[in-house]
Amino acid sequence: MFRKFTPYLLVAPLIAFIAVFTYVPIVSSINLSFRSWNFMSPDMPFVGLENYTRLLGSSDFWNSLRVTTIFAVVSVPIRLVLALLIASYLKREALSSRTLRGALFLPSVTSTVSIAVVFSWVFSTDYGMANAVLGWFGLGKVHWMQDPQLALFVLIFINTWKQLGYDVVIYIAGLQAVPQELYDAAAMDGGKRFQVFRRVTVPLIMPTTYFLLVISVIEAFQVFTIINVMTHGGPAGATDMLVHLLYRTGFVLFDIGTGSALAVLLFVLLIALALIKSRVIGRRVHYES
Amino acid sequence: MSWKLQKFITASALALVASTAGAQAETTVKFWHSFNKDNGEALNKIIANFEAANPDIKIEGEYIGNYNDIVAKLQAAIPARRAPDAVILEVTRYGLFADGGVLTDLTPYFNADPLKDELYDFAREVGVIGDKNYIVPFNSSTPVLYYNKDIFARAGLTDPSLKTFDEILEASKTITDKLGSEGITGIAAPGQFARWGLVMANGSDLIDSMSGEILLDAPKTVAAYQWMASLLDQKVASVDGVTEEDNGRDAFLAGKVGIMMNSTGNYVGSKKALGDNLGVLPMPCNETCSVPIGGAGIGILASSPKEVQDAAYKFISYAASAESNAIWFAATGYLPINKHAADQQVARDALASQPGIDVAINSLPYAHGRARTPVVTWMRTTEYQMWQAMALGQRGVEETMKDFADKTRQEEARSN
Repeated sequence: MFRKFTPYLLVAPLIAFIAVFTYVPIVSSINLSFRSWNFMSPDMPFVGLENYTRLLGSSDFWNSLRVTTIFAVVSVPIRLVLALLIASYLKREALSSRTLRGALFLPSVTSTVSIAVVFSWVFSTDYGMANAVLGWFGLGKVHWMQDPQLALFVLIFINTWKQLGYDVVIYIAGLQAVPQELYDAAAMDGGKRFQVFRRVTVPLIMPTTYFLLVISVIEAFQVFTIINVMTHGGPAGATDMLVHLLYRTGFVLFDIGTGSALAVLLFVLLIALALIKSRVIGRRVHYES
Repeated sequence: MSWKLQKFITASALALVASTAGAQAETTVKFWHSFNKDNGEALNKIIANFEAANPDIKIEGEYIGNYNDIVAKLQAAIPARRAPDAVILEVTRYGLFADGGVLTDLTPYFNADPLKDELYDFAREVGVIGDKNYIVPFNSSTPVLYYNKDIFARAGLTDPSLKTFDEILEASKTITDKLGSEGITGIAAPGQFARWGLVMANGSDLIDSMSGEILLDAPKTVAAYQWMASLLDQKVASVDGVTEEDNGRDAFLAGKVGIMMNSTGNYVGSKKALGDNLGVLPMPCNETCSVPIGGAGIGILASSPKEVQDAAYKFISYAASAESNAIWFAATGYLPINKHAADQQVARDALASQPGIDVAINSLPYAHGRARTPVVTWMRTTEYQMWQAMALGQRGVEETMKDFADKTRQEEARSN
């Protein structure tokens, strides 16, 4: 009898941990999204869908959704393509490859706040390194963080730089798992390098690509720290992505109900995106049996 | 067991009980504040002096971050029941906490405290909402106009008169024209406190402090913002200071900017950075002479036990006393809030040795408190994005301020 329950007892602590720190907050957020609360009041009156209608009627929400979508649509393909190219080059086990892999991976384990502070200075208009380099070539100052069109792309660049090493390492693992005999067979059939890459490598690393796609889209929709340190959503809302708007609504403007409604909408949006990706791309993913 | 050993054990036990009883009698006040570096050292000195005079009270001071960080952390701490006993709150943003019943009504304490008569009117007034007192002022400030004497001299500007918007713009242009090739700009983009001051200097306000009327789209407010945006449009101010206000201050401290309008609380830091090259003038009087009172006061959390509230009040009253206020004024440049602070030796020494530290004091006759209704927090948070849109030329000033005013009125109606 005791033996029957042993596995459940062993996983119970982890289940309790996940329940307390994941499921309870999700349920609590859903509950709060239908209420009006400002953290201080002991009352949390039920307001029905009011928070959702206010959010969907606000220009800030639609601006944040637009900015976040641009961020994801631009940054995710760049990350995946660059990572695959670099991984193809670095997959061989040599000292130089291992050193470069380590160097590329370093930003992934560096504090995001530190990265954001350093890049704030790099892209400072008057005192930054980026404009100093342009100056050596006789080019004028660029308003990296003040131009609403440029600021978002600066953040995409920084985020790509930070996450690229992780993507590369995952891709290298995927590439190294492709059996060598398939490449040998393709070579014997006279396959050109690009053809082999397209017909052999790409289909066989599809599970890795699919995994990275899911992870990087979720990450793109949850970017917060870089924005909070570098731009605070500015200039003029140009980098005010969804999670930053959520923070601003809930923790700066004290509107927990609307902030929770935004969290719920973001949650639904990410699930919907995951389902779409599963339907569209999932069919092309083949796992080795 | 020998007689000596028994005596030793008994004595030790008694000593342990006595020390435990002593420790239990000590009241600990958890105090959140927003001062680090030099300002933090001055505050720690005040805390140490208080604890020396009140050995039964321990003040656990903790630096949390800037005013915004404190507000954010306090919100999270309240439902988690981890709020401090006393907290520094910025003078326009404590209304929300007072309104929500988070802060103790200090009126009974304050009315019985001789301190009440020692405070300047402006300082006493900042803690009052309706007829109740929620905070006791600690660090009060007004914006002042700092300038770099060396930059002015090199640009051929001697004895500058910077009393009107036109004069400031003219001086900024001259500096940028003559020294721009050295990476020097005329003026730092004004931060939010200075922007509020410039609106008041133009004879208007953002929200009327008495009636609560929203004046964001009043013609004189709009005109003040148009002038501020023109500093960027005419390239006499760096855009770096628009998206990150501290950048403007840092550039001024690095000797790369001619003029900076900022809190008098920056005096000591600026003096350290620029030495005798620092000049200090009152804010301009474009349409009228009027400056906003800024800074913060200390409130007590309603959730703390009564004996801790009593101890906390004792501390915040001490922090505003003449002795403490003089230490604070001399170390930071914040305004004296206690009428007797200037009589203290440490304050007299500061006034004699630090020219310009008295500029803010001389501004007091035309210093005014600002609105602190709950909607002010929303308005101030939103103002940053509105200002960026105008300063960076994304939207017209008139259209933006009209939109801003409408949204603020809607938010006020909703929160009521």
